[in-house]
Amino acid sequence: MTLLELAGVTAYYGPVQVLHGVGLSVPEGGSVGILGANGAGKTTTLRAISGTVRTGGRISFDGHDVRGLRPDQVAVRGVAHVPEGRGTLGQLSVRENLLVGAYLRKDRAAISGDIDYCLDLFPQLQDRIGSRAASLSGGEQQMLAVARAFMAKPKLLLLDEASLGLAPSTSKAVYEAIRRLRVESGIAMVVVEQNANLAFSLVDSATVLETGRNVLTGSAAELKGMDEIRRAYLGG
Amino acid sequence: MRTISAVLANRSVRASLIAVVAIALIVAPLILPAFTNQTLVRIGVYAVAILGLNIVMGYTGQVNLGQIFFVGLGAYVAAYGVNHDWNILLVFVAACVIPGIVGLFVALAAARLGGLAIAMVTIALPIVGVPLAKRLDEFTGGSQGTSARFTDAPDWSGLYNDQWQFYIVLLVTAAAFLLARNLVRGRYGRSFGVVRENEAVAASMGISPYRTKVLAFTVASIFGGASGFLYLAAVQYTSPETLSFGHSISLVAAMVIGGAGSITGALIGGAYYVFVPQLTNAIDPNLTAISQGAILLAVLFLLPQGLVSLPRVIRRLARRRTAPSTPSGKPPQNSPVHHPTTEAAVREGLETQRGKIDHED
Amino acid sequence: MKIRNKPGGVLGIVAAASIVALSLSGCVRDGAGQGGGGSSTSPGITDTSITLGVTTPLSGPTAGPGTCTVAGLAAYFGAVNAAGGVQFGDGKKRTVDVKSYDDAYDPQKSLSNFQQMVADNVFAVTSGLGTPTNRAFRDAAISQEVPQVLVMTGDPLFSDREESPWQLGFVPIYQNEGAAFGKLLAESGAQHKVAILSQNDDYGKGYVSGFKEAIGGAANVSVVGELTYEATDTSVDAQLTQLAASGADVFFNAMSITPLVISSLQKAQQIGWKPSWFLPSNTSSPTAILQPGGATAYPGIYSVSFSKAPQSPAFAKDADVVKFLADLKQYGNYPDMPAFPHCMWSYMVGATLEEAFKKMTEPNRDSFMTALRDIKGLQAPLMLEGTAVDTTTDGQPAVSSVLVQKYDGRGYTTAEKFG
Repeated sequence: MTLLELAGVTAYYGPVQVLHGVGLSVPEGGSVGILGANGAGKTTTLRAISGTVRTGGRISFDGHDVRGLRPDQVAVRGVAHVPEGRGTLGQLSVRENLLVGAYLRKDRAAISGDIDYCLDLFPQLQDRIGSRAASLSGGEQQMLAVARAFMAKPKLLLLDEASLGLAPSTSKAVYEAIRRLRVESGIAMVVVEQNANLAFSLVDSATVLETGRNVLTGSAAELKGMDEIRRAYLGG
Repeated sequence: MRTISAVLANRSVRASLIAVVAIALIVAPLILPAFTNQTLVRIGVYAVAILGLNIVMGYTGQVNLGQIFFVGLGAYVAAYGVNHDWNILLVFVAACVIPGIVGLFVALAAARLGGLAIAMVTIALPIVGVPLAKRLDEFTGGSQGTSARFTDAPDWSGLYNDQWQFYIVLLVTAAAFLLARNLVRGRYGRSFGVVRENEAVAASMGISPYRTKVLAFTVASIFGGASGFLYLAAVQYTSPETLSFGHSISLVAAMVIGGAGSITGALIGGAYYVFVPQLTNAIDPNLTAISQGAILLAVLFLLPQGLVSLPRVIRRLARRRTAPSTPSGKPPQNSPVHHPTTEAAVREGLETQRGKIDHED
Repeated sequence: MKIRNKPGGVLGIVAAASIVALSLSGCVRDGAGQGGGGSSTSPGITDTSITLGVTTPLSGPTAGPGTCTVAGLAAYFGAVNAAGGVQFGDGKKRTVDVKSYDDAYDPQKSLSNFQQMVADNVFAVTSGLGTPTNRAFRDAAISQEVPQVLVMTGDPLFSDREESPWQLGFVPIYQNEGAAFGKLLAESGAQHKVAILSQNDDYGKGYVSGFKEAIGGAANVSVVGELTYEATDTSVDAQLTQLAASGADVFFNAMSITPLVISSLQKAQQIGWKPSWFLPSNTSSPTAILQPGGATAYPGIYSVSFSKAPQSPAFAKDADVVKFLADLKQYGNYPDMPAFPHCMWSYMVGATLEEAFKKMTEPNRDSFMTALRDIKGLQAPLMLEGTAVDTTTDGQPAVSSVLVQKYDGRGYTTAEKFG
């Protein structure tokens, strides 16, 4: 069953149109990648889903039309967005960041168990649990951002450039943890990633955007095999 | 210093300390001279106003330059109620609720605008409020103001007026501080902090920045109204000058001086608001403006986090003297090299900031 | 939750409490300052001195006139003290100390200052400027039985003996001023069309009601236009344009905002309307208002006064004025030519208080109030011929007689008749 469906989605920053009819389909529990060059509209597509940009077209989530809703209304329906640049709350401690993630949850009793789960998933955070988020390293902040999104117990996780600015070994560790999270929690994901190798470690299928349009869509295996993809995104 | 804090962390020590403070507050007015009581009463009045301001500005990060409007409105509502022989509880409730409703409506409109636009709207409040208070003389007594005596000590109490007023203000102020403390430590307090830090993140966590701002603004207005009630209890008179814009700026300054985003800071801010004019009057009544400015600058340079950070600064200095090695809480200096750019810059910034505070002390 | 590292809550409270404790010099309460009645000695008076308190705006927009309310008083008693002090009615010679407190025109601060004065053992509060600031502690002064006398407000409440047993205003109430000008106009014999602009509060209303009462029966004066403005308005250009169209030859402008008066004087010239003006006594300063406003363009600028104008050439050699300016410089810490009449007024307050001191037979507040309310026909220094201090009439301030003055290009001279 389809969890998220985008059809003919357009988006604007002021008068400038950046998406010209993007489509995307994510099944429940599935993971879909969005690939493309800088400025292709990857991040904007995520923003269109989470409601932080003015959009047209059709976006349905979990059987409901969510286009035009405010970001917090989209979040209430079960979409957690890990934005580019992480967006951790620097003045708050790691634990407080995680508690903020659980802000909407009614099942108070389960929250501390989920915090423990996050710390198991990202052991580096264990030692920094009382530190201010601003004092974390880039990799730790990325882990915190993912963990905080998980704390909301969403149906869908939007992951934007989780490897940005991280050393290769760090991004690899982050993606491995996210992969484990996906397997163990069954949360569906939309993954935007410049580094296609990392992306393909996490997604079942993917779409390639160019100047705000889908140019190619297929399963991970199909896409990996294509020469143009290899040349453009896989470094050879 | 650290051992003292450790002792204070003990629950029973804490409870008995709170009991001692409470008893001291109840006994103090019976012993203290009238002028000291009157001064403490005024501190309570402004501490509540600054507390409200702190919730919307310090905790939620929304610039509010119109808090004095709600103080004045609360005072006028209370004066109207007293002069129409309402029950005192009704007077108090009305003095909180009516400013709260006005604040809610203003916030519903202003919070949509976001950013500096909210500040502009709040500036307009006292600017519109003063001529309005003059014009609506049926309710406000016009530019001559209105007197309302309702806090003279009743005969059965055997108290002086200043003692009676002290207890009224103590009751309301204590309740306000307890409420505010619970608010900011709870779920809503967390949402205030998230909105202040990053509205986009707040929204992505399902926290509506708009509703959070409206809530914070409304709560601030209610506290402003309560402060207005206390103002009338203490001054027994209000006039359009009560809500003049300049006082609003003074409230903001007092909040920052006390410590933005700190409950205790609001109390210190109230004390600052009341003591500094007294102090500068004692120095030279002809130079109050200059000496007040000098004090403000001195505190901001020495303690940019406000007076509330004084114990923290002292503690840090003491710790540096006893243990010159890396203090706990600071990130380790041997950070792995594979963390490039941004976070390193952030950390560096933090270090310099801390270093700066240390050096300047 | 913790937004950022804060000192422990309890520690913070202890810190705050110690700040409070340090700032207060606590002494055990003894009930001092409660009540000044009886035949005993009141606080603030000893065998050799008496202490007066002034709460007035010394900072903020009204600091100019506020500073004058202290300077004149300090000048008067500075000279008196230098000559040995005042011979009181009880036979003792005392010097007079003046303590001043800045209230920045904030009622809450003036009450605080009053409470401080009670703690500082001030005998009486006097000379302070401002209606709301004086009203703010009027009740407290009554209940503590502390005199609040010869204050600078045109609010009639302070001169109502029943309502205000411990108060007395000094300057004429607004109605007195409006009426004096109305009377002069009615007696001129010529036909006059009057345009009225007034501040929309008790100040403006007081002037207009006094004026209208005085022209009530006069057939030669008609009001052809009447508009108001708000005290917070920054421009009255629209009102001026409308009133100019009425063709009035006399403009009664009951305005208390200095910059607004200046811009009105300029604006009316620009639009070619040149009537004779009436301005209230507190906004008719030759140096601060009329010169910048270019007032010489008009056929006449009228105001009312009861004090000699030190700026005016007519009074340049006047003995009162010479001594006043010397005292002001030497004891009042005010070396310049006074820009506001409040300097002269508070000097007269000093003379009036001295008169009361001479008459009070016991060193207490009751005796002082009795003596103060029994002054008649006192020609205080700087008072114009034809005006006098009279504290014996209920409902009237210490000075209720004013003379209409006409601007002569530098200062004012008394106008016997209009025109």
